[in-house]
Amino acid sequence: MLKTRDLLRISVRQVVRQGKRTLGVALAIALGTAGLIAVATMGDEVKNNLNRDLDLLGGATVIRLGFEEEVHPGSRPQWFRSETVEAVRDLDGVDTASLATGDIDWLPVLWEDRFYAIPIQGVDEYYWHTMGLSALEGRLLDQQDLAARSRVCVMGLELAGNLFGDGAAVGRLFSIRRDLYEVVGVVGGLQIRDRARFAFLPLGTLLDRGEGCPLPDRLYVRCRTWDDVEPVAAAIPGLVAANQPDEYLRMDVAWGPLERIKTVVWWVELFIYLSIAATLVLGGFGIWSGMMTSVAARTREIGLKKAMGAEDMDIMKQFLAESLALGLGSAALGVGLARLVVAGLGSYLGSAPPWPVFNSYAGHCLWFSALLALAAGFYPALRASRMDVVTAIRYE
Amino acid sequence: MSNDGNKGRGPIIRIRGLNKAYRSGPETVRVLRDVDLDVYSGDMIAVMGPSGTGKSTLLFILGLLLRPGSGSYSILGRDAFGLGRSGQAAFRRKCIGFVFQSCNLFERTTVYENLEFPLIYSGVKPRLRRGLIREALDRVGLSHRLRHPANQLSGGEQQRVAIARALVNRPSIILADEPTGQLDRANGQQVMEHFAGIVSSNKTAMIVVTHDPSVAAVCNRVYALENGRLTPEVDKGVPA
Repeated sequence: MLKTRDLLRISVRQVVRQGKRTLGVALAIALGTAGLIAVATMGDEVKNNLNRDLDLLGGATVIRLGFEEEVHPGSRPQWFRSETVEAVRDLDGVDTASLATGDIDWLPVLWEDRFYAIPIQGVDEYYWHTMGLSALEGRLLDQQDLAARSRVCVMGLELAGNLFGDGAAVGRLFSIRRDLYEVVGVVGGLQIRDRARFAFLPLGTLLDRGEGCPLPDRLYVRCRTWDDVEPVAAAIPGLVAANQPDEYLRMDVAWGPLERIKTVVWWVELFIYLSIAATLVLGGFGIWSGMMTSVAARTREIGLKKAMGAEDMDIMKQFLAESLALGLGSAALGVGLARLVVAGLGSYLGSAPPWPVFNSYAGHCLWFSALLALAAGFYPALRASRMDVVTAIRYE
Repeated sequence: MSNDGNKGRGPIIRIRGLNKAYRSGPETVRVLRDVDLDVYSGDMIAVMGPSGTGKSTLLFILGLLLRPGSGSYSILGRDAFGLGRSGQAAFRRKCIGFVFQSCNLFERTTVYENLEFPLIYSGVKPRLRRGLIREALDRVGLSHRLRHPANQLSGGEQQRVAIARALVNRPSIILADEPTGQLDRANGQQVMEHFAGIVSSNKTAMIVVTHDPSVAAVCNRVYALENGRLTPEVDKGVPA
């Protein structure tokens, strides 16, 4: 009976010496394994990035909340209480939530002895990330501005250009009614749209204006992924009702774009997994085909080994071990490739790859490859083991 | 080349009434008819006959690779046909060495690896293998080719490696099927001299199937196989 150590040594040697004959099969399995591990390990990370990127284009993961007093004249004005905002921020699947004033004030702004009526919105420090906006010049309003109720302002790109000319807004002082404000930044981004004509003040600063000031009755909620939008949207009404009056609460979700994005990504994912599955199946077929060819080419060898005293099970074990060595060797190569790919993707996406997840998938892939190899090699090995010894020795 | 001295010790192989028939379409061809044979330690027996007379069939039966239709076969005192497949394989591992016409060395292997296979199947420990392999190669004068790729050796050297492989397990019986069939006269002669030396020094028995009179000339007993019958003691050097 063949000892395991001898069996492995002989099989690995045989696979290595077959060289070019097994190279194609080994590459197919290695690439399939590498693809599977890389997609499975970095899938969530890539999806999150895709979410962010697609959302910047479509804002599909931002839920917009407000109150519909305007369609119910005479109703008591409502605004979002801080407890509500905190509770929404604590919801699973919520990335950020930003509180802002709803009714946009068109306030008279004095600049170089001329009055301009410009739309002004009071926002908190989370507004920029929630709405996908970024500073083009200067800085954005931060927690310090909010806490100190500073008289500072961030202007939309178009407004800043109209008032001060391109690139000249930051540091300018202008007055709203009797108060002087300093422009600290100019904001832009894919989602800026009509906000390019807005001026943004710290929420508290605007609310302090007292009479006639708008209420913080807008809450923008950015979900982590598009999969989170539905459960977050379902949870919000109950959460608002639990913390404050919720009469005339209005919630806008971009269901149409969201569904479209999910469908597109689903197809992409399906295509990737089908490609990987096809590669692995082809690898398995390659092992089967290669082993069948090997059994035919080594007929005399099989006969000779049986004449030397090898039993049917020894022959079967040897061919199965060769198949296993090919499958596992290729999968190990795939794991190595996947490690490089995952490290590269992590570096590209600026995130630390989840190595425990990688190790888990690598382990699963090695097991799967072993099973695939054994399944693919079983029939050729059985055929070899059942070969009639005299026929095999006389085979030309 | 008489072997009378051994006969008192009993035969290694004793065959009685061996029959083997093949079906060829509607006909049944009887290739072996009531074959009787005793083989003693130190015997070097040639079985001669034209192609297709059943020489190789007899060799395969003697090597427990083929079952006969009827008859009895005791080998080293045991009923060989009573052994199961596994028992027969074990017997081949321990007691029988084969040499075939074409060298049948394993592809993409070295001389060492070729000789290692019988030892692996016999369960010989790795640390003992090298010594046994070197000893077998010494007998055929090829110990300097230990790590040489087998397929890069000359025809004569390859056949000597095949002989060494048959000897490496120190078998009681060597069965050779046209062992010089693909060699030139000089190499053939050399191979047979190796066999003769091994049999005489090793208390081994050898049965060689051949149609070459010069091969038979080296043997101490010659049989002819014709019409399925093994005719004993043909005069040495006379082709059947």
